[in-house]
Amino acid sequence: MTLLTIFLLAAITFFTRYLFLHPSLPVRLGPKMEHFLSFSAPAVLTAIWVPIIFVQGGELNISPQNPYLISATLAVLLALKFKNVYLTLGASLTVFALLKIYL
Amino acid sequence: MSLTKKQAAVIMAKKGCLDMLPLNLAVLPWGILCGSLAIQRDFSVLEALLMPMLVFAGAAQLVATELIAGNTPLATILFTTFIISSRHFLYGLALRDKLKHQPLRWRLGLGFLLTDELFAFSGERKSLRGKLRLIYALFTGGSFYLSWLLWNIIGIIAGSYLPDLTSLGLDFAIAATFIALVIPNIINIPIAVTVVVAAILSVTFNLLHWQLDLVLASVLAMYAGYWSSRKIEKNKSKHMSREARS
Repeated sequence: MTLLTIFLLAAITFFTRYLFLHPSLPVRLGPKMEHFLSFSAPAVLTAIWVPIIFVQGGELNISPQNPYLISATLAVLLALKFKNVYLTLGASLTVFALLKIYL
Repeated sequence: MSLTKKQAAVIMAKKGCLDMLPLNLAVLPWGILCGSLAIQRDFSVLEALLMPMLVFAGAAQLVATELIAGNTPLATILFTTFIISSRHFLYGLALRDKLKHQPLRWRLGLGFLLTDELFAFSGERKSLRGKLRLIYALFTGGSFYLSWLLWNIIGIIAGSYLPDLTSLGLDFAIAATFIALVIPNIINIPIAVTVVVAAILSVTFNLLHWQLDLVLASVLAMYAGYWSSRKIEKNKSKHMSREARS
């Protein structure tokens, strides 16, 4: 039963990824739509990461002791200043782990 | 000295793996979490392996694992997974004109590999254009797939010895990765508008427990970015025509 469920799950994730790559689908994108879609990466990725920082257990957490908030602030500042993925990730993950242990 | 086609392809493949490397590493805690959770929720080793191999998703995999373990009705499991995965429709649309004329094997391959992370690497105007850029995408996406699989396998092996990892806050690694991808790409006002609107709306909709919070917040934020970009262009052309007249 679980196996069947897993195959169906795989079909769903693949379907959502592949659908609009299919050539015979009757979808034509004009230049306006292309322009609109050019904002999809910053929009979706931001809509994924910001709630991880601010919402915990279904509630808003903007306390200055929120380890997510402290580490994310550091990550944003580092990303702005140095634009280096390794530095941003390494420093913010280390700080997050330390906060988790000591707070 | 000019490169042969094969040498150029090898260089692009290496560059793809190297560019993806920080993300491949950053997804380690999340992968171990997903793999170990499946074992702790009484999945067989085969079932736990098929999740990253076939479903190949982060949040969807995690949520589905919990739902399956909780004996949730099949329709609910499938619907929830569909909602979580529906943001990929936007990615497919955004890449449609670049990929729809490619041969089936490229469309199927890159379609299967089209995660948030691969999409984040495909935003440039020139990306995916020409064979070499397709090879680059194949190796960024492919190395991410193999890493995800490997971290899941470690989680599956260690699963019964590990504590429940779901409450440790490993999702911060996801947030940090996307911060590192998004923030340096805020290069103009419309993108800044997009990011701010997406941030505010996603948190608001999330707190309201709307099923489609992510997609709805994203689409509205995209529209805000598009609208501000048009506004700025119009103002510019007004200025230009005024200057031309005076």
